[in-house]
Amino acid sequence: MQKHWRRTAMSAMIIAALTLGGCGSANGGNKEAAPQAAGDQTVSKEGFPIVQEPVQLKMFTRIAPVNGPFKDMPVFQDYEKMSNVQVEFIEAPTDGFDERKNLLFASNELPDVLYRSNITPLEAVRYGAGGQLIPLEDLIKDYAPNLNKLMEEYPEIRASITTPEGHIYTIPGIVTLDSARTDKRWINTAWLEKLNLEVPETLDELYDVLVAFRDQDPNGNGQQDEIPLTSRVVGLPIVTAFSGSFGLDLQFGYNVNIVDDKVEIWMGSERNKELLMYLNKLYAENLLDHEVFSHTEAQYLAKQGSGNTGMFFDQTNNNFLPISDQYTGIAPFEGPHGDRQQSQNAPVPRDQGAFAITSVNKYPEVSMRWIDYFFSDEGSTLLRFGREGEHYELVDGIPTYKPEFSTAETQPKLTPYAGGGAPHLISEYVGSYINPPQVQDAQKALDPYMPKIRYAAPMFDEATAQKVNILRNDIDKYYEEQSTKFIAGALSFDKWDEFQATLKKMNIEELQQIYQDAYDKMAK
Amino acid sequence: MKNAEIHETAAAPRFQPERGGRLIRQIAKRYDLYLMLLLPIAWYLLFHYGPLYGLQIAFKNFNPGKGILGSSWVGFEHFQRFFDSYYFWRLLWNTLSINLLSLLIAFPIPILLALLINEIRSKSYSKLLQNITYIPHFISVVVIVGILTVLLSTNGPINMLIQAFGGSEIRFMESAEWFKTIFIGSNIWQNMGWQSIIYIAALSGINPQLYEAAKMDGASRLRRIWHVSLPGIVPVIVILLILDIGQFMNIGFEKILLMQNNLNLEASDVISTFVYTTGILKGEYSYTAAIGLFNSLINLTLLLLVNRFARKTSETSLW
Repeated sequence: MQKHWRRTAMSAMIIAALTLGGCGSANGGNKEAAPQAAGDQTVSKEGFPIVQEPVQLKMFTRIAPVNGPFKDMPVFQDYEKMSNVQVEFIEAPTDGFDERKNLLFASNELPDVLYRSNITPLEAVRYGAGGQLIPLEDLIKDYAPNLNKLMEEYPEIRASITTPEGHIYTIPGIVTLDSARTDKRWINTAWLEKLNLEVPETLDELYDVLVAFRDQDPNGNGQQDEIPLTSRVVGLPIVTAFSGSFGLDLQFGYNVNIVDDKVEIWMGSERNKELLMYLNKLYAENLLDHEVFSHTEAQYLAKQGSGNTGMFFDQTNNNFLPISDQYTGIAPFEGPHGDRQQSQNAPVPRDQGAFAITSVNKYPEVSMRWIDYFFSDEGSTLLRFGREGEHYELVDGIPTYKPEFSTAETQPKLTPYAGGGAPHLISEYVGSYINPPQVQDAQKALDPYMPKIRYAAPMFDEATAQKVNILRNDIDKYYEEQSTKFIAGALSFDKWDEFQATLKKMNIEELQQIYQDAYDKMAK
Repeated sequence: MKNAEIHETAAAPRFQPERGGRLIRQIAKRYDLYLMLLLPIAWYLLFHYGPLYGLQIAFKNFNPGKGILGSSWVGFEHFQRFFDSYYFWRLLWNTLSINLLSLLIAFPIPILLALLINEIRSKSYSKLLQNITYIPHFISVVVIVGILTVLLSTNGPINMLIQAFGGSEIRFMESAEWFKTIFIGSNIWQNMGWQSIIYIAALSGINPQLYEAAKMDGASRLRRIWHVSLPGIVPVIVILLILDIGQFMNIGFEKILLMQNNLNLEASDVISTFVYTTGILKGEYSYTAAIGLFNSLINLTLLLLVNRFARKTSETSLW
């Protein structure tokens, strides 16, 4: 019996050790590797390779549905040879990316670098204050000449990424090309011509045009199956597309007007009521696509490509290239009070939180030099176009894809910028594909109506950021849901007072004050 | 014989030294069985009791950089925030009402189906029926919601049918009024066959002599169902009901999330999806841990209540 006992105990211990061991190990080894000078390696401050001996980095990245694996992209193959930095990408698909990203932080199983990661300002402050992301300001000064140059040229970049304590935790994707910061207003000119209509200039004219699109069978198939107007779903882009016609701006990446140094959150304003009523009219009369709140991105893109849509919004013409001659980009519409602005307009530091270095990274200097290259025209060209002669050619001195790499299938496999959010410089020089003449013209139509100044979302200190987060969690959810219902007619405008009162109850005034303080600080 | 021994040890009172010695002896004798038990115990410790340690973040301001122990205590702040939240009552109401309706409507249907299948004389026909009804169980939730979206869209077959009969189109997926009907209805369709399997098994265990005796006494079919079949499976029904209640607050998270949009949020916003969208997607771990804990407390209370009720009324219960 004694013997039995021993054997039992032994087996029990072995099993327990096996099961427990499997789980325990993953959590270890995160804290000790605090960032320090890159050890025995010397990092060259300029020129390539960055290091003499190869260095390995693990990067967590988002991969869009259109992309192929990053390791097959010419940019990363060539750059590895050039820089002596061997990057292993951990790829997470766009769907569910935020979940994966947050779980990385929550479980403290950090990669060396987060790439194309869309880290929000709140996350940057929270994880930066917690020590999981390291401050980058000194590294930028010493190891990022290209980025430095851009930050001097565009001061709003530094303002949008520096916390009140003076730390920088993330690097954004930088867009100096105007037309990459707006969604163009594409209208079906083939239909306009067929029905003998003028390009609409005001909201009333737009209404008449959309009615004609609906009733007069512009596609000529004898059925009323045309979609007069549609847009993307997430974040109510249908509202932001029209807000400029009602004098509603979008400062701070939020529903904010700044007039005479006064910050106003306009969600509960009379102007916004008018805007929602207008959209409600379009929706009720079947002028606005009824799937506008539920269709998926893929369905929306299919609508663009079908040619059966009267008007929609997109940055480029890339998604409807085969039928792009049917469409023209037009100016914003004049509203009932004479307002006419392109409010939807991203700031120069467009893709926030695109790059960050974590505390487990043993080579922060190397990482910084690695990313800095992509903020030069040369690096950006490599990233976006691949190898000269193989993937692109210089046409009039501007890199341009060879025909076989300029289709909607092959182009996104070539470059990680397709699908958005990659940390690099988007300048006019590298914009041939996203900024062909048609898109340039569409941007020219918007140019006279661009807001004079565009503030990016401000950085708060940790406590304020948390407060903003708590306020906005409730307010944004409520606003989006109620706006959707107002537009779809599921909620009558009789309830507008109640809507305003609820916003007030959710302390929208406190939120406004926080933004006001941020603005005052910025103005100083 | 072996079985009897195991039962005895399991039920043995703890504080009798003489018996305690016997317990150890018995464990030693059947060590191989107890060894097998170790795996499930380890599983429970790791995945069910281990995480309880992390529950403290509900009372802290958890920052993963500082770790669970390093984060500062804030007491009931997160609970307070949730109770004060605009969405609190809506979340609670939706969670409770969806589950209550599911229980009232969807729970009895598999029982009826099982009784029905049990009464079918033709073996091959009843097998066919059984197969057809339980096949939907194997379709993934994502596909089910996809099917629903296509069927119920404004230009889908159901709306065509409605319009053919002169009705006006109904935006099923985009209205709060229809959400619960669609959600529960499709759940029934998907799961009734699967859930009826246990009842069918229980029915086949009823002694056929009882049916014969009832027949002799001149009982009709309905009478036989009422007096023989149903009482025969009552213990199974009660146990399954209690188990269902144990899952009460968690039912159908993925499916609700997939069906959710701004227009039906009024009816489809439930605690579990709220926890997911604010906790995992926005990284508010402490806040949502507090909500999750609150959710579990309701769950536990319900379970205890129902179990007590069941013990009193039908003498069948979990403990």
